Amino acid sequence: MRMIDLYIQEVTRRLPEKSREDIALELRSTIEDMLPDDYTEEEVKSVLEKMGNPAILASGYLDRPMHLIGPRYYDVYINLLKIILPIAGVISLISLIATTMFSYSGDEAALNIILDLAGHGIWEVLSTGIQVFFWLTVVFAIIERTDHKQSQTPLTACFKEWTPDDLNNIPYIPKEKAISKVEVFLGLLWTAIWASVYFNAASLLGVYEKGSNGLEFVTPTFNQEVLISYWPLVVIVIGLEIALDMYKLKTGHWNRKIAVLNTVMHVVSSVVFIIVISNNQLFNPTFVTYITDLFSLSGDFGNWFAGGAIFIFLLFAVIDIYQGYRKSSLQK
Amino acid sequence: MSTLLNSLTTELRRGTLTLAVLSQLRTPQYGYSLVQLLEQCGISIEQSTLYPLLRRLEKQELVTSSWDTTESRPRRYYVLTPYGIEIYQQLKKEWEKTSQELSLLLKGEDNE
Repeated sequence: MRMIDLYIQEVTRRLPEKSREDIALELRSTIEDMLPDDYTEEEVKSVLEKMGNPAILASGYLDRPMHLIGPRYYDVYINLLKIILPIAGVISLISLIATTMFSYSGDEAALNIILDLAGHGIWEVLSTGIQVFFWLTVVFAIIERTDHKQSQTPLTACFKEWTPDDLNNIPYIPKEKAISKVEVFLGLLWTAIWASVYFNAASLLGVYEKGSNGLEFVTPTFNQEVLISYWPLVVIVIGLEIALDMYKLKTGHWNRKIAVLNTVMHVVSSVVFIIVISNNQLFNPTFVTYITDLFSLSGDFGNWFAGGAIFIFLLFAVIDIYQGYRKSSLQK
Repeated sequence: MSTLLNSLTTELRRGTLTLAVLSQLRTPQYGYSLVQLLEQCGISIEQSTLYPLLRRLEKQELVTSSWDTTESRPRRYYVLTPYGIEIYQQLKKEWEKTSQELSLLLKGEDNE
């Protein structure tokens, strides 16, 4: 009967070559046992229905799992993914920024480069993420299929089964006190952004006008010579910020020492900021004229702008200092 | 029967299937005769579970199998090995212990 043949074929094609013939023979004899001597097609159908879906029957014969990553490895897999994905994303972003900076010829407006970089950055991070996800999944799917241990107990991150001793390796940190890696990373990113803006202010900050080649740079905001003359102070602030971020990453939670260091960093950077911005030679006269005309302002634009900037800068510094002390004094 | 009750019942019975099959293999049986024997005792077993289970038991060396070609259609007979008999006896004791403990628990509930 054709239907029986087809059913057996559907089961055995999913099985390893060497066991096919034997299982086919047994299935046929079983199916025929279940049928009366003179069977109709309807009877065959009802017997095959009892036998069930060929895929399920075949998977019963196979020791191979019917999932990609089972309970034993799932937790390790997810944890690794959480660790590796952000690292891979950051590395690909940094390498993209580095290549762009080295190949920068100086012809194009800096803002165009940055917009271009943002677009490429998103694409690069996405494709790296997909690559990491794919290969990690493939590796775990292979491990799942080559591990023939009977145990289904989930594994911890060290690929061992859990014991109470594992608890000793976990620091107890209340959520409020914790310093996340994201927080440190954003801090470093912020430092990198303002530092590169500072050193490239002449070609970055200023007035842009729509030209034939996209955005065109018209006039810089600052008097670059005056601005750059403060570089030793700025380097000190950069150093302090990076050092503090590294220390935060190492410690992992807020404490009194970090709160104090945070205050020192903010005080130093505020002082430097006020020194730099209150220099009345800082702004490029062309820029001041341009802005004054554009918004038809009266009075001294430089003073007005500097005052506002200092106020905002100090406000954020005070808020951050306060948050640092608040978090460090939280009770466990 | 609700689907939840259905799946819980299936889960409850799944563990006992191996014991049920082993108990009937003290004498040689082929696939369909085993199904009939089990059904006579009210135990219904999915075909797609039984045949792979028999293969697995053979791999674990609890049963051996041989083809009998003397009858009109060739049949594969399964029977317990000495090791299989030993395991079966121990599994049986475990089951009796479990069912006693459980009936004690369930009886306690009725009295309250």
